[in-house]
Amino acid sequence: MKKRFVSSVLALIAVLCLGVTVHAAEKKPIVIGHIHSMSGALSMYGISSEAGGSIAIEEINAAGGILGRPLKMITRDDKANPEVGLREAKDLVISENADFLTGTVSSAVGMAVSSFAKKEKIIFMPSNAQSSRMTEDEFHPYIFRIATNSVVYWGYAPAIALANTKKVKKIISLGWEYETGKTALKQFKEKYLEMVPDAQIIDELWAPLGTTDYTAYINKIKNSGADAFYLAAVYGGGELAFTKQADSFGLYDQMLAIQPCAGDIESWYTVTKGGPFPKAALATTRYPFWAIDNPRSKVFVEKYKNKVGQYPSYGAMNHYNTIYALKAGIEKAGAVDTEKIIKALEGLTLDTLIGKVQIRAYDHQAMMPTWYGTMDYAEGLPFPHVVKVTPIGEEGYHTIEQIKKLRESK
Amino acid sequence: MTFVSFFSQFISGISVGLVLFLIAAGLSLIFGTMRVLNLAHGTFFMVGSFLCFAFSSLFANSSGSFWWALLFAPIGVALIGGILEVLLLRRIYNQDMLYQYILTFALILILGDGLKYFFGVSFKTIEVPWPLGGSVSFWGMSFPIYNLFLIVCGIAIFIFMLALMRYTKLGRIVRAVTLNRDMANALGINVPLVYTGVFMLGCYLAGLAGALMPPMSVVALGADMHVIIECFIIVVIGGLGSLSGAFIGAVILGFLNSFGILVMPKLAVAFPFMLMIFILIVRPHGLMGKPE
Repeated sequence: MKKRFVSSVLALIAVLCLGVTVHAAEKKPIVIGHIHSMSGALSMYGISSEAGGSIAIEEINAAGGILGRPLKMITRDDKANPEVGLREAKDLVISENADFLTGTVSSAVGMAVSSFAKKEKIIFMPSNAQSSRMTEDEFHPYIFRIATNSVVYWGYAPAIALANTKKVKKIISLGWEYETGKTALKQFKEKYLEMVPDAQIIDELWAPLGTTDYTAYINKIKNSGADAFYLAAVYGGGELAFTKQADSFGLYDQMLAIQPCAGDIESWYTVTKGGPFPKAALATTRYPFWAIDNPRSKVFVEKYKNKVGQYPSYGAMNHYNTIYALKAGIEKAGAVDTEKIIKALEGLTLDTLIGKVQIRAYDHQAMMPTWYGTMDYAEGLPFPHVVKVTPIGEEGYHTIEQIKKLRESK
Repeated sequence: MTFVSFFSQFISGISVGLVLFLIAAGLSLIFGTMRVLNLAHGTFFMVGSFLCFAFSSLFANSSGSFWWALLFAPIGVALIGGILEVLLLRRIYNQDMLYQYILTFALILILGDGLKYFFGVSFKTIEVPWPLGGSVSFWGMSFPIYNLFLIVCGIAIFIFMLALMRYTKLGRIVRAVTLNRDMANALGINVPLVYTGVFMLGCYLAGLAGALMPPMSVVALGADMHVIIECFIIVVIGGLGSLSGAFIGAVILGFLNSFGILVMPKLAVAFPFMLMIFILIVRPHGLMGKPE
C-alpha cells in the first residue's frame, strides 16, 4: 500500500516535471551571438551595433517573440582580432547554444567567423564588415548580409554618383596603402571609366594606413592639375585630419572632393560650425535618417538617441534590420531550422527601416541602397552631413555575371 | 614642377619637421645628459596632445582656450615626467641599458592605457586658435598661417635652447653633468636634481609639441609609435645628444618626407630610413654628434 502510494506520487512528480520542461522548452530563447569590436579603436561600431540590435530585440520580445520564443542577444568582444573573434564564435555556439551569429566590423574577423559558420552550418549575418569577398568568391550558403558591401561603399556608389553629377575628366586619388584601399580604388576606377570612358586617374597617391599628416600629399594634389580628388578608404580620425589640413590649404576651394566615407556621421561629431569640414564634397552615406520619411525609422532614431545619447550610425541600423530579417526568415520557415531559414531568406523582400529591400538569392546580399549628395550643414543637425540625397540601389553592386566570374576564377 | 610648388612643398615639410624637432630635442637632451634612451618619449608627446584637449575643454567657455591649454599641457607632462623619473627611472640608472628599454617600453603601454582609461578610444579635435586661423597667399599659393606659426615656434625654441645651454648658469651645470658626472658631483652639483630637471625639460618639450600639433591634425591613440620612430631617425641623423643635430635632422626629415612623396612616391616611406642607415655606416655619431 505504502509502496504504491510512494510510486504514484513519484510518477505524478515526474509528469509535473515533464510538463514544466515542455513548458520551459516553449519559452527557450532564440540565441543570437553578436561578435563585434567592443573595445579599442573600432569600439564605436560595436557599441552602436549592440544598441541597434537590442532595440530590435526589445520590440520583438514585447510583441511576443518569434514563434512564441523570446530573443536573446549575447555580445562578445572580438578586439578587432580574427583569432579572438573565432574563439568567441566557437564559445557562443558550444557554451551558449547560439542559433545565429551576427556582427563584426573588421573584415578580417568577418572572414574568420564566416569560415567557422560554414563548417558549423550556422547562419552568420555580418552587419558591419564590408568585404565583398564574403558574399562573392568566399560565398557559402550560411552567410547573409543585410548591409551594403565594399563594392558599393567604396567603389561603385561614388563612381555612379560622380558620373551622375559632375563627370570630371581628371581625377587624382589618395588612399591608405592596404587591401581595402587598393580594392576601393580599383572598383571606383572600373565603374567610373565604364560610365565616363574619356576620364582618367592621373595619379595614385598612397599613404601608410592610419596616417595623420597629409601636408605633402595635399600639396601634390594641389599642383597636379586634376579637377577632382578621390579618397580611397581613408576614414575616421585620418579622414578628419586630412580634411583639416586640406581645408587650411584651400584644397576644397580649388577642386571637387570625392570622399565616400564623409557620409559616416561618426567622423564629424566633434566638428563645430565654422570648423573645417569637406565643403561641398561628394559623399555617400548608408543611413541618412534626416532624409528618410519612414515612421519606423523616426521611432528608431528617437529610441536610439534615448538609449545611447547619440544619433544612430548605419551600423546600428544594419543590426536592427538584420534581427528583423532573421525574424522574417524564421517565421516564413515556420521553425528555427537553418536549412529551412536559408530557403526562406533567399529572394525574400524585407521591410527595413529604409523601405522594402530584397535579398538577392545568388549571393545572399540584400540590395541595401546607398545615397549620395554633397556635404553641408543643414537644419536640424549640429554636424555636417550629406544633403540633397539621391539613392543608388542594385546598380551599385556587382552583377550576378561579375560574381560568377569571380567565383569561377578562384 | 614650378618653383611655387617646390617652395610650398618645402614649407609644409619644414612645419611638420619642426614639431618633430621639439620632441627629438627632448629625447636628445635626455640621452645626452643622462644616457637614458627614453622609448616612451613619443608617448609623452601623445599625453601632451590629450592634456591640450582636456585643458581646452576645461577652458572652453573663455576665449583663448587653446592658449591656456598650450600653457598648462606641457607643464602637466613635465610634472608627470618628473614623478616617473623620481619614482621609477632613478632606480635603473646604474643598471644595464636593457632595463632602461624595458622600463620605458612599459611606460609606453601604461601611459597609453592610462590615456585610454581617462579619455576613451575615439579621436578628439581642437580647432585652430584665433588669431592663427586662415591662410596667407603669396606667389600664387595659399599657406595656412598656423603652419607658419609652427615654423616660427620651432626656430624660436631652438634659439632659446641654444642660448640656455650656452650662456646661462643652468646650461653650464647641465653641460658639466653631461661631460663628467662624477666630477660635477664632486664639485657639489646635486646630480640627481639635475637629472630630474633635465628629464622634466625633455618631457616639457615633448608635451609642448603635443599641444602644438592638434589644431592641424587629430588627437588619437597610437600617435606615439609613429612619432618615436621619426624621432629616432632625426637623432641618428643629427647625432644623439646634440641640439643642433636634432634641428638639422628634423629639417632634413621634413624635407625628405615632402620631397619623397613629390618625386618618388613609391619609395618615399623608405627615404628617411635609407638616409639613417647611410649615416650609421658612414658617420655613426651623426652629423653633429661627437664620436664616443
